[in-house]
Amino acid sequence: MRYSTSITKGLSSTFAQEVLERDGPNELKPPKGTPEYVKFARQLAGGLQCLMWVAAVICFIAFGIEISKGEISGYDDLYLAITLIAVVVVTGCFGYYQEFKSTNIIASFKNLVPQQALVIRDGQKNQINANLLVVGDLVEIKGGDRVPADIRVITSQGCKVPNIQNTPRTHPILFRSTVWLSGTERICECMFPCKELEKETLQSVYFPPLQVCLSLTAKRLARKNCVVKNLEAVETLGSTSVLCSDKTGTLTQNRMTVAHLWFDNMIHAADTTEDQSGQSFDQSSETWRALGRVASLCNRAVFKPNQETVPIPKRIVVGDASETALLKFTELTIGNIIDYRGRFKKICEVPFNSTNKFQLSIHELEDPLDLRYLLVMKGAPERILERCSTILIKGQELPLDEQWKEAFQTAYMDLGGLGERVLGFCHIYLNEKEFPRGYTFDTDEMNFTTSGLCFAGLISMIDPPRATVPDAVMKCRTAGIRVVMVTGDHPITARAIAANVGIISEGSETVEDIATRLRIPVEQVKKSDARACVINGGQLKDMTSDELDDALRNHPEMVFARTSPQQKLIIVESCQRLGSIVAVTGDGVNDSPALKKADIGIAMGIAGSDAAKNAADMILLDDNFASIVTGVEQGRLIFDNLKKSIAYTLTKNIPELTPYLIYITVSVPLPLGCITILFIELATDIFPSVSLAYEKAESDIMHLKPRNPRRDRLVNEALAVYSYFQIGMMCFTDYFTAMAQEGWFPLLCVGLRSQWEDVRLQDLQDSYGQEWTYSQRLYQEYTCYTVFFVSIEVCQIADVLIRKTRRLSAFQQGFFRLVLFQLCLGNLLCYCPGMPNIFNFMPIRVQWWFVPLPYGILIFVYDEIRKLAVRRHPGSKYHTYFVKLFVHSLIFFFGHHWDKTVSWLC
Amino acid sequence: MAKGDKKNEWKEFFWNPRTREFCGRTASSWGLIFLFYLAFYIFLAGMFILTMYVMLLTLDDNKPTYQDRLATPGLMIRPKGEEMEIIYAKENTESWDTHVQALNSFLSPYNDSVQEQKNYACKPDQYFKQEDSDSVKNNPKRSCQFRRSILEDCSGLTDRYYGYDEGKPCIIIKLNRVIGMLPGKDGQAPSISCAPKIDDTDKMGEVAYFPRNGTFNLMYFPYYGKKAQVNYSQPLVAIKFLNITLNTEINVECKIIANNIPNLNERDKFAGRVSFKLRINSRN
Repeated sequence: MRYSTSITKGLSSTFAQEVLERDGPNELKPPKGTPEYVKFARQLAGGLQCLMWVAAVICFIAFGIEISKGEISGYDDLYLAITLIAVVVVTGCFGYYQEFKSTNIIASFKNLVPQQALVIRDGQKNQINANLLVVGDLVEIKGGDRVPADIRVITSQGCKVPNIQNTPRTHPILFRSTVWLSGTERICECMFPCKELEKETLQSVYFPPLQVCLSLTAKRLARKNCVVKNLEAVETLGSTSVLCSDKTGTLTQNRMTVAHLWFDNMIHAADTTEDQSGQSFDQSSETWRALGRVASLCNRAVFKPNQETVPIPKRIVVGDASETALLKFTELTIGNIIDYRGRFKKICEVPFNSTNKFQLSIHELEDPLDLRYLLVMKGAPERILERCSTILIKGQELPLDEQWKEAFQTAYMDLGGLGERVLGFCHIYLNEKEFPRGYTFDTDEMNFTTSGLCFAGLISMIDPPRATVPDAVMKCRTAGIRVVMVTGDHPITARAIAANVGIISEGSETVEDIATRLRIPVEQVKKSDARACVINGGQLKDMTSDELDDALRNHPEMVFARTSPQQKLIIVESCQRLGSIVAVTGDGVNDSPALKKADIGIAMGIAGSDAAKNAADMILLDDNFASIVTGVEQGRLIFDNLKKSIAYTLTKNIPELTPYLIYITVSVPLPLGCITILFIELATDIFPSVSLAYEKAESDIMHLKPRNPRRDRLVNEALAVYSYFQIGMMCFTDYFTAMAQEGWFPLLCVGLRSQWEDVRLQDLQDSYGQEWTYSQRLYQEYTCYTVFFVSIEVCQIADVLIRKTRRLSAFQQGFFRLVLFQLCLGNLLCYCPGMPNIFNFMPIRVQWWFVPLPYGILIFVYDEIRKLAVRRHPGSKYHTYFVKLFVHSLIFFFGHHWDKTVSWLC
Repeated sequence: MAKGDKKNEWKEFFWNPRTREFCGRTASSWGLIFLFYLAFYIFLAGMFILTMYVMLLTLDDNKPTYQDRLATPGLMIRPKGEEMEIIYAKENTESWDTHVQALNSFLSPYNDSVQEQKNYACKPDQYFKQEDSDSVKNNPKRSCQFRRSILEDCSGLTDRYYGYDEGKPCIIIKLNRVIGMLPGKDGQAPSISCAPKIDDTDKMGEVAYFPRNGTFNLMYFPYYGKKAQVNYSQPLVAIKFLNITLNTEINVECKIIANNIPNLNERDKFAGRVSFKLRINSRN
């Protein structure tokens, strides 16, 4: 062997440590990033920023010329230049910070799901992080793993990899990150944990604010155990309409747990909660003591050593699933089973086999004076019952007559119907005379009593659902997301769990249920009457895709049992044919196609194979179904917030743009100045638009149907319409009011521009025949700027109020903070002395604050009514148009009324 | 392959012959949308016009609601010249002819005949108030005569060229009209006073004011607006530079002196004052 390694024992850990120190960790070097100063410079040199630099330079030049001429008429140019530069720098810093943050967030995700490798060192197998591998390490790889380093395959069986370049070689070389598709676990040797450069994998395709939003959400999700691999997954997640979930491990706890006991002719429920917080059953009965003893003794499972501090349900056990469940159960109810078993010395045992379907063992009794042997037995209930002649009821052996047999049968059926695995338990004290001490029990010959035993009871086990799952399923249901269970389990178990967590709701029936209830053949049942449907893999194989589509369409509650991973893909495709956005969970290698096909593939972080994690868009760190629902909620929230944010940006841009359009086309005196716009952009806007993006969820976010990504775009026409004109109109009303009340009637204003701006004209006549100097007109113009600014502020307030809550009434969310902020800022700019000459803000008359207010209130009223309609009739297609018409006619009357109010006010 | 698909997809989006959809909508759908927006915009425009109309209804025809910017009335000169500069050569008739023309046309409404015909000879030295009684508007309001002849040497009646040919030019100063303004206080009429800007008093020489003392008679105030007082004649003050230094640039500043008009506004160089440049070239 090369690299001084042994083919069986691998490296010694000390040597491996040395090599690790010498070579460094087995990591790909991240690509050389762009230097930070370049990133910052990029923020300062965007298209708009360049324009602003040029503008600033021009301002400086203009100011310089004025100085050189020796006459400084004003510092306006200087102020404007400084403001422009400040704007560029401040927004640059902000943008840089945001980019920095989102890059960090994305980078941090890599460490959340570290790659593991099974390495053989000192002859022992150990799970270590893949970056600790060194040259010469032996690693074991199983199907679905990602190759942890560049390796040479030493032994393999049925190995399949996608892109093997040098197959003919006896020891083919595999490069890291190749997915090992199938083939049993084989040993490979690390060749060179080489240090090639990693390609840049995460590339942002979003414009920065969206990127920030998404990465922040991704971070929030990561905290809730969902790691998102590509950012758009966050958004798609929000529109998920079908969720195909695995059962084992996702909906359930992935551990067999004792769920029910039947003794004393009664079914007792055991505590199945993950943290043992549930109710326990009555343990005072003698029968229970006997049953508990059988369960403890007839059990080969043991705890792995050194786990005293670990809570019992979490301890690792050597043994099969049911024995593990029984061991933990008895450990919890009786206590210290190892010690208990020690007191009943085991003489011999017959392990479980599929022909006997039972397991028995023979023990000495605890009491040294009692020389009888105790035979304990467990197994398939019907087989156990065959061997029994008596039954233990309240500690007394009663003959097992037909009545008891019927009772047993009922209990057995009941428990089986719950999807639980039922075991029967019985025992017998062997006759002291027939089997004295020292008797040689021969397990092959069975030279001892195995019939006429005493039946103790039944214990049934199940992999119980996770505590949080029923709530999560309920949440999905209200959110219009359909949960489909796809499992390899038995249909009865699958159905029981589905009913338990609410995937099949109470009162829902399958076709078969209806047939039994009505006592008619299955064929006569109307399929649409059955809400629920359980299809097993065999049936699925025989179905055409149309039939499957039909089934999915007809039955809202679907469970697929006994399915293969390939069939998962068929189910996903069928859902997508029906127009759903499908999220699929998966863990195995064979799930990869389904994960890839799904709109959102979700891999399990604990149980999932590397292949599944590779194919998925999202990884659930805790394998918990409830985390997916959290993800959906976050995805919806971000879409909602972005929608609000974008609508807000749109609405504010239009009133900022229209003054210039009107100024150019109709030649009115300029209604809105540059510095004023800068103020709107920088001061009054930042707070609302940022706060919108970081908004908390509206409480009904999970009560709506998933949006249709084809129809529900970020900006729909309806939003654009009323934002564009209403607000522009509102600002112009205020502008014309301010002009007219000072003596410039609207009609005079039209076409006035060239005279208005003529510096030499010191006696321009207004509508009343008064004469104005240029300076007086200029200050009037500033007044208009201020009035326009105030109108925009009022519109912003109204707008944020309506945007913030697209469906819920604004009064349901308190945020008058924002209003306060806007008002304080507006007041400061208007009434602080010195403002006219620095920032071109004039102290305006108080009335002008109120001119746009009724419009603002109208927008608000209008929107509240729209929301009411949306809440009353969610999802109807044309309602918006009618509501719009209705509301605008309302505005008409309101508006009319308002005009009178204004005349009264002024 | 994929590219072709995309192209087809676009084509289909633009015109889908199967569903007869243009840009993803059928004709009737487009029609409905068009109708809706048409109605919507008409409605918005109507609403805007309505609000503007109602706003205009609230305005008074004769008096602006606010006069926030007009606390200090502006002063202006005639002729204006280019950029408030009056530069001419006294021998060169063409160089001052435009100024004379400007003065002629400016003063023509002040011809004595016109004034006597249209306006009322008011009682001088007191405000000519014509207030409305409570309900009845006292309209139209009469205006006081300002006869051109009051300007004497600068009236252009005796001296056709307003002294421009002799190097003794006349400049007429007018006070901007502001509705309701009552300049002066305690019966004292506002007057104009001109002085050179920088220390070139001696260069400016003597100045004559017409009417005497350069006052605006109180009877021309208040102004009631162009609608109520159609024939209002703005009072004027003429100044005549009697022995100005030739071939030199002189900066002159004229201010209004009235105890209720502040004339020092740093920002506005034309509020209550006016400055101009005067230069008369001459060969000798």
